[in-house]
Amino acid sequence: MPGRQLLMTFPVTATSHTLADYRGRGGYGTLQKVLAEMKPEQVTKEVAASGILGHGGAAFPAGRKWQVVHLDDGQPHYLCANADEGEPGTFKDRWILENAPHLLVESMAIAAYALQVRNAFVYIRGEFDLPYRRLAGAIDEAYDAGLLGERIMGTGFSLDLVAHRGAGSYVCGEASGLLTSLEGRKGYPRNRPPRLTVRGLYQRPTVVNNVETLSNLAGIIAMGAEEFKKIGTAKSPGTQLVSISGHVVRPGVYELEFGYPVARFVYEDCGGVLGGGKLKCIVPGGISTKVLTAAEIEPVTYDHASFQKAGSGLGSGGMIVIAEGTCMVRLLQVMLRFYHHESCGQCTPCREGMGWMHQIIDRIVAGDGRPGDIDRLIEISEANDGTTICGMGDAAGYATVGILAKYRDEFEHYVLHKRSRFDGRLEVPLHA
Amino acid sequence: MKHLIPEFERIKARYPAGCESSLVLPCLRRIQEDRGFVADSDVDDLVAWLGVPRIQVEEVLSYYTQFRRKPIGRWHVQTCRNVSCSMRGAERLIDHLSGRLGVKPGETTADGRFTLSTVECLGSCGTAPVVVVNETYHEDMSAEKVDRLLEGLQ
Amino acid sequence: MPEIFINGVPVEAREGATVLETALEHGFYIPYFCWHKNLSVAGNCRLCMVEVEAESGGWMDIACNMPATKGLRVLTDSDKVKARRKTMLELVLKNHPVDCGVCDKAGECMLQDYHYAYNGAPSVSTVPKVRATKFHELSQRILLDNERCVLCSRCVRFTREISKSHALGIVDRGDHSLVRCDELRSLDDDPYADNVVDICPVGALLSRSFLYKSRVWYLDATPSVCPGCARGCNVDLWHRKREWKLNALDPRHNACIERVTPRENAEVNGPWICNTGRDLAKFLERPRALVPMQKGREADLTAAVAAARALIDAAKHPVALVSSWGSNEELAAFKAALGTRFRTLVKPDRLAEPGERIEDDILIRADKNPNTRAAVELFGDAPVALDEGTDLVLVWGDGFDFARLPRHAKTILLGAFVAPENGHADVFFPVSVQSERAGHYTNFEGKVSAFSPCFPRPPRVVDAETLFARLGTPVAARSGAAA
Repeated sequence: MPGRQLLMTFPVTATSHTLADYRGRGGYGTLQKVLAEMKPEQVTKEVAASGILGHGGAAFPAGRKWQVVHLDDGQPHYLCANADEGEPGTFKDRWILENAPHLLVESMAIAAYALQVRNAFVYIRGEFDLPYRRLAGAIDEAYDAGLLGERIMGTGFSLDLVAHRGAGSYVCGEASGLLTSLEGRKGYPRNRPPRLTVRGLYQRPTVVNNVETLSNLAGIIAMGAEEFKKIGTAKSPGTQLVSISGHVVRPGVYELEFGYPVARFVYEDCGGVLGGGKLKCIVPGGISTKVLTAAEIEPVTYDHASFQKAGSGLGSGGMIVIAEGTCMVRLLQVMLRFYHHESCGQCTPCREGMGWMHQIIDRIVAGDGRPGDIDRLIEISEANDGTTICGMGDAAGYATVGILAKYRDEFEHYVLHKRSRFDGRLEVPLHA
Repeated sequence: MKHLIPEFERIKARYPAGCESSLVLPCLRRIQEDRGFVADSDVDDLVAWLGVPRIQVEEVLSYYTQFRRKPIGRWHVQTCRNVSCSMRGAERLIDHLSGRLGVKPGETTADGRFTLSTVECLGSCGTAPVVVVNETYHEDMSAEKVDRLLEGLQ
Repeated sequence: MPEIFINGVPVEAREGATVLETALEHGFYIPYFCWHKNLSVAGNCRLCMVEVEAESGGWMDIACNMPATKGLRVLTDSDKVKARRKTMLELVLKNHPVDCGVCDKAGECMLQDYHYAYNGAPSVSTVPKVRATKFHELSQRILLDNERCVLCSRCVRFTREISKSHALGIVDRGDHSLVRCDELRSLDDDPYADNVVDICPVGALLSRSFLYKSRVWYLDATPSVCPGCARGCNVDLWHRKREWKLNALDPRHNACIERVTPRENAEVNGPWICNTGRDLAKFLERPRALVPMQKGREADLTAAVAAARALIDAAKHPVALVSSWGSNEELAAFKAALGTRFRTLVKPDRLAEPGERIEDDILIRADKNPNTRAAVELFGDAPVALDEGTDLVLVWGDGFDFARLPRHAKTILLGAFVAPENGHADVFFPVSVQSERAGHYTNFEGKVSAFSPCFPRPPRVVDAETLFARLGTPVAARSGAAA
């Protein structure tokens, strides 16, 4: 495994997700300690001191998000785990839900205690059937064992936790869209201000955190912030669950300690490029991050600062490996079709822009590209940069601009010659 | 839908008071599990029980990809065609399924057994290509595997 | 009151105001589609983006949701802002059908205006426009063209927040989103529905009764007051401009109400009216009574006045039922001229029709008459009751059941419209309607609103105000008048 582990610390078996197994690993011991010995403010302080950044894609410091909530404002607060995991290439929260649901439950109980939350939710994408059943099973087990519900472990702290299923909408992975969906409506994201920690679910202060971010909390409290900071890098403490897929020999979920060299991860830990060919580029963290070429990843380590320096980002932790010989025009077509399909339709630039970009790239792929098309794709991307209600418009723009910046010649070739420079398939090229 | 109300009441009890609107999605999902789709009468009944504006339920049904207002085949065969799945053969798989079932994506076989759909990323990229039949993920699929899978479905 | 800077100019913002509100209040125009001062902030059109100057580098964001915080420096007209507006308009144009040539909204369309002000260039798109439903019958009264719709959601928010009918929503998603009505009910059940036609910034929501009637630039708007109920909503009556009269057609086409829109009055109706007000032409344009009559025979006005005066002089127990549609001026004139002579009762000219909403906490009042308050202040609120001793009844306006007339009473009738009773009255006078004269109504809260004339009075029709003065002159004072 690449570096030290905090989450994937046990072998996955037929029962490793159960309460009995989790308890065997020391589970719920931390919650007990927190309820017995710590004040809510102390928990938040520890989380802030750990410096843990959000694992959903925005990398916002979790502790700072929590500190916006005023504990004694006399109104209900809500905590919601974002288990919508819809970013293409990402399937690491799923690992937690299927194999370590109690880790999430315990961590959420700790977070709820810190934020004085009485009702918490896990918003889980509708397609995740097994993960939902594992999570719902874990929640039932927890209730039966007095680890959720009234007077947890005999203390004065009570918490209700609901696993709430979505029904097929990528923008419900955006925190405000998630809450609007949780309110029983279309998953329309919201403008800020107000921040969700001021007015969120039903206009109450709400903390939305990614499943992985929350799942780290039990460990952080157990070991203490200082110990936690010894793992990873100064600016990116701890670890990241990375989903890797695409043209790679050993796809799957790996836990990387922040700071681990990316090239070593791809070529050694994951077995390198499928079919023995050369690496063309990677999508670092979900398709909304800018692609990095094989040459560009050489000096890069897996942490926020290094990726920023390379002109990209860690995103959702969903890495996609792309072999030489893959047509980037076809790849962008798949991405733009996705963004078009998922646009909620609220705001002008994304609603009109996604369809426009999709139409243009379909035309290019069909052999009917025009000279101005490539620049138009860039213009529409720029029109979506910082102009939309949520980050999806920007994301589509980054994906487009990122690919065009490095592979513009492929697009120009397609427009000029009405076909791909390569064989046009997206599968592993057999003659790489 | 009315026979589901006791179940809905149990679900409602888990949500905080005043948050009844949140029940729209879980109730619709349960109705669809039960009937196979959401009928107009189900919408009427849900609106009557829950007290939300009918337009809200109509919007939700039209917005989310998983809800349907018409019945489909007994087996809903959904193939992801997003990036990683396409890179591991999903496009050929879809063509294969289409040819084998004799329908295009979005259509149902004449005998009512299979409905074929293409969907976006299912969060199973590491085991691509993935095919979901009704609720179940079938991972690391290939043409041969999907043929065997279909044969096993009545 | 925080001080902010707009284009370098310091302005005082109201506590809690946004940058957009502050800018508009201080005369800095920022274009917008989805914002409306009476609706919640949606922030979806992205047209109102402004530039914020800050030492840390500055940024751009929508102004409608930007709190005006102390010291904020915004630019509403910088090159960046102009470029951004142009881009947003280009994006709206991408799928917009641009069928202004056949669209009623032309001439009062926000998209048209903004296009010429901030874009002005043809569409740069080289892909086909997304097609959607045109001529969708949203209701009996309203037509929806989804291609023109810019999905600003004003109409949806209106039905959620103002009329509270929750009739409208947006279904599907992305660029195939569609405004739609609740499947079961009809938008016709929402008595405020037509307001969405006003607030739609483009020609997506159109009034079916106004469809293709006239280009708006051929019309003038005359201020008036809706007589539909005691709220007295202020309205604009739209009619053809004199210089654009249609010579070839029936002249009545040039003297009719083409449409009715709200005239904003913060104290009375805000920017809204109900559908009854939209249809007020129904009240005012019924077939008109055009000549004075005596017992059904056409009479000369002087003779009719003389006959009426004689009846008034001779009566021992005269009762007058004054119209609650009479203007403040007309009612005062009645009081001055005839108030002491007649036992005067205030008559509700109109009652609610079957299916008409009686009252709500939005605008509609149970009293379906515009000036009951002024009438009651002058004449009291005794119910209309005629005892057998009554020997002369003066009925002014609609709403009296002539079966209740005491058997031997004489009648003087003042009415604007054709009715069977007109021919039975001892004396009948045809009177003008509110669109033919100036006047005021007093609403149920005592707020006074003015209406102005927009049509000429038919030649032999009289103004009730002057008629009362003539009727009230006592016989003895009529020196030289023919007896």
